[in-house]
Amino acid sequence: MLVSKVREALICLKAGRVTLGYPFAPNDPKPGFRGKVTVDPDLCFGCGGCANVCEAGVIVVSDREQHYRLLEFFWGRCTYCARCEEVCPEGAIRLSGQFETATDDARDLCMRLEVFMGPCQRCGRCFPPPTPLDKMMTTGFRHGLEGGRA
Amino acid sequence: MSTEHERTLAAVHQVAAERSNGSLLCATQPHSDTLHFVVDRSAMRAVTGGLVDHLGARFLISVGTDRRPLSGDFGVLHIFSLDRDHLYVLVESPIPADDLRIDSITPVVPGAAWAEREFQDAVGVRAEGHPDPRRLLLPDDWPEGLYPLRRDFPYNFRPPADDAARPKLAGAPAGASVFPMGPFFPVLEEPSYWRLFVEGERIVGCDTRLFYNHRGIEKLGDSVLTYSAIPHLAERICGICGFIHSTCYCQAVEKAAGIEAPRRARYIRTIMLELERIHSHLLWLGIAGHILGFETVLMQTWRIREPVMWLCEAICGNRKTYGMNTVGGLRRDLPDSVRPELLRVLAEVEKEVVAVREAVAGDSALHARTQGVGTLSEETARSICVVGPPARASGVAIDARIDHPYAAYDEIRPRIVTEEAGDVWARVVVRLGELAESIRLVGEGLSSIPDGPVCAEIKDEIPPGKIGVSVVEAPRGEAIHFVLTGGDNRPYRWRVRAPTYPNLQALPAAIRDGNIADTPITLGSLDPCFSCTERVETIDRRTKAVRVFSRAELLKMCRARAKGGG
Ligand code: SF4
Ligand code: SF4
Repeated sequence: MLVSKVREALICLKAGRVTLGYPFAPNDPKPGFRGKVTVDPDLCFGCGGCANVCEAGVIVVSDREQHYRLLEFFWGRCTYCARCEEVCPEGAIRLSGQFETATDDARDLCMRLEVFMGPCQRCGRCFPPPTPLDKMMTTGFRHGLEGGRA
Repeated sequence: MSTEHERTLAAVHQVAAERSNGSLLCATQPHSDTLHFVVDRSAMRAVTGGLVDHLGARFLISVGTDRRPLSGDFGVLHIFSLDRDHLYVLVESPIPADDLRIDSITPVVPGAAWAEREFQDAVGVRAEGHPDPRRLLLPDDWPEGLYPLRRDFPYNFRPPADDAARPKLAGAPAGASVFPMGPFFPVLEEPSYWRLFVEGERIVGCDTRLFYNHRGIEKLGDSVLTYSAIPHLAERICGICGFIHSTCYCQAVEKAAGIEAPRRARYIRTIMLELERIHSHLLWLGIAGHILGFETVLMQTWRIREPVMWLCEAICGNRKTYGMNTVGGLRRDLPDSVRPELLRVLAEVEKEVVAVREAVAGDSALHARTQGVGTLSEETARSICVVGPPARASGVAIDARIDHPYAAYDEIRPRIVTEEAGDVWARVVVRLGELAESIRLVGEGLSSIPDGPVCAEIKDEIPPGKIGVSVVEAPRGEAIHFVLTGGDNRPYRWRVRAPTYPNLQALPAAIRDGNIADTPITLGSLDPCFSCTERVETIDRRTKAVRVFSRAELLKMCRARAKGGG
């Protein structure tokens, strides 16, 4: 009995203090961490790829007028799966290192993005010119070659 | 295929044919390790009884399916495992839609008690002759005659709440008093309601009400999500063994669709599964110490565990919910850069675990609280179909990694750890042994992992109407996923059984004749993972006035706060 108590005490003593200083000291996650999703509005060209694969259904695409498409992101239910990041042809949508997402206002977890598009002459619906498929293959079409990553 | 395997197949066919007495409708073999029999419902009890009596089949789970859109009827399917022969036996009966009943098999297979109550609740097929046909799954205020897993039931339908509804409680035996434990009980993290029937300090029986955390995950899977989205939901079935559920689901779909995951993916799955077992067993050890009031164990095992969580984060980007699995393999590779760190951390963990084991092994205070407590005999463990460490601690040598090898366990063979005593201490010893074994397996996996792709390319649609059964040995016992593929890019039926499901059914036997004070640790030693409140009382300290909030008021306050932003 005594021996095992001494052993237990030794384990504790050897460990010493292990508590981290967080939240009083910063504790940044390592690279590759899947945190809150961010969108770079300069890079997004509204292809809707992310909305297509998001299994939590938190990205909603709606064509409001002939020239503009609305992308809405509701990250309250995001599962941090990073599928959106995987498919985005422009690297516009990324999982950041932010993990302090607790908020008392649900609006903090929403984002609206209005993207100007070319309307189709026949059906009148938006599409990123010249065809959506071509655009997926093109590098940084909105800002020339310096803008995108692809 | 060996002749022995063929002999077993012939024996199963013979039992099915003889016991069904001419009403065997169909016998197929969807996979090399799965036999599927369709029998008339009148023969169900005889056939399943025959499988258990003659072949020692172990009951896994039942699946009730509403097949009206397909064939106009319902189906009840019981899944058995022949562990020695690496075989699943599925026995199914069609149930006409205008006469929804089937003979209960609980009288011959006691382990099927909950499974039958569950399909009774979920699809409305009555199990005739069930010894305890009370509600299991649905909330107490759920209206009669509404069956959530029927196809015509919308996934987002919410029947009105009824605050006055109460569970049907079993009466205490004459002379015994009732000692309620739960639904919220300080040492357990999740709600479960136990009514212990006691004579003095001695427990003579108990009654339970569980499933407060039921989330309708199966319904979501087969009505809203797609094949490739479900792994992410499956991962959230359990907060500790998420990867186990996503692996199990993916394997079931892969089996149904005839997809072969690449070798490298199977190795990485094995490594992640073992990492999960390591951190889960360490977590459990801490909780067990905490339940016994021995907080040092909690603090130290969780300290030892933490680097394993960081490793997982380095591998996949998060300490839990790895998001790695997908049908056909994995979404991300194991980066080579984490290898040295992985080996270093595991060597460290191993050293520390040995130190902890040596320290607690001689601790007579711990022995006094755990030896001879919560004993489960081998016979009971077998009849209730207990799985995982509680089964192995009672001398039942089953382990899905050996009985139904999946992932890379056909090449990396685990050694099974068993004990005979069947008490709480035996469960501690088994888990400590498995910890060391898991560390060895990760090392072995890392050294022999092949190169290559991690995801198979899936060119064709997943064909409808195919069956896949998969088991994965979770830290708590085996998890089972059953998938019946459907046409619209999602399963027609997805059935999940977590390991705690059979193990909790053994608790009444384990605590009988014990003390009230031993109940929490006995429950804790099964490593339960349950996955409601009526009201909250506040007392104004100055005036001593008691105010009781109803559920509706609480809800309103919470919502107002959330909306108002403060
Ligand atoms: S991380 Fe996953 S759930 Fe979150 S927005 Fe991207 S795709 Fe959707
Ligand atoms: S996938 Fe990328 S470019 Fe396409 S809509 Fe989403 S964020 Fe924009």
